[in-house]
Amino acid sequence: MTRLIAIVAVTVGLGGLFLFGLLRGSPDRNIESARIDREVLTFDLPLYPRYQGAFGPTLDLAAELGSKPIIVNFWASWCGPCYDEAPHLETAWRAHQDDVLFIGIQTQDRGKRAEGEAFLDRFAITFPNVIDDDSRVSIDYGLFGVPETFFVRSDGTLLYKHTGPVTLDLLEEKIAELTGS
Amino acid sequence: MRFLLQPLLIALLLVGGGQGQAQEAASPAVQTELESQVFDIARQLRCPTCVSESVADSNAGISIEMRREIQTQLQAGASEAEVLAFFQDRYGDWILLEPPRRGIHLFVWWLPGIALAAGAGALAILMIRWTRAARQTTDLEDTDEADLARVRAALQKEEGPA
Repeated sequence: MTRLIAIVAVTVGLGGLFLFGLLRGSPDRNIESARIDREVLTFDLPLYPRYQGAFGPTLDLAAELGSKPIIVNFWASWCGPCYDEAPHLETAWRAHQDDVLFIGIQTQDRGKRAEGEAFLDRFAITFPNVIDDDSRVSIDYGLFGVPETFFVRSDGTLLYKHTGPVTLDLLEEKIAELTGS
Repeated sequence: MRFLLQPLLIALLLVGGGQGQAQEAASPAVQTELESQVFDIARQLRCPTCVSESVADSNAGISIEMRREIQTQLQAGASEAEVLAFFQDRYGDWILLEPPRRGIHLFVWWLPGIALAAGAGALAILMIRWTRAARQTTDLEDTDEADLARVRAALQKEEGPA
């Protein structure tokens, strides 16, 4: 009897494991950043001409750190979910631009300047956007894909990374955490 | 004097040209060696945007950029361990296709050995039990004399009188 129970238990266990493997679908891509609570890596990237009046030809993150929290959003012109989140980012930026700096980074999109300009035109994006043409910065931020958004405290450490399109609610929640309001 | 200098100059030019050719020939070999090193490291890294593919196997944009980054670092004199540490620092242990041999990951390395030892142990116990059981059913030395007599009587009864 004991032997029968053991055989049934092992068979059910292995069968369950097999079914789990079959039914679990694609693996979870929302992996926490390895750099949470650590200082973010800085970059100095060329800005789209429309933003150069305020910052100069490039945006140097090191120069911006320390004054206020920063939200860094990675996007690409070919990425559908980036189109979904762009209006939310612009709305949040317009509401909080005195307290938080937003930076858009076009990445994994080599040579697609015209497409990038069209993306910025389409959503009338007013926060600064830079070009990571060789995707070097996306490697520095441990990017898995686009869109991804990094919420950086004013001391330069990473509070949170969001994989996938952001919503206005999430932006409001994280801005409140960053600013302590 | 001119007769002596001319062959000397020609010889020097030939030697110089030969050296140049040798250097040019070494270049592709060095390049091949570098590419091989790049792919050796890329094979150990997981493509961030793919499913179950290494950076070496994937043609996703990010994998191409990562291979380029590996090459840049190797050309700058970084070792394989340093390049792997660079990616691990940014992506965490997830980026390594082979889990690191420390902490909880050690379990993954030990598991096959543990499973093998457990399997061998279970098989050994079963074989000992089976051998004992077989010996008990065939060994007549320990059988009770009265039981044997009963069996002989039953057999004789079945066979009937000769």
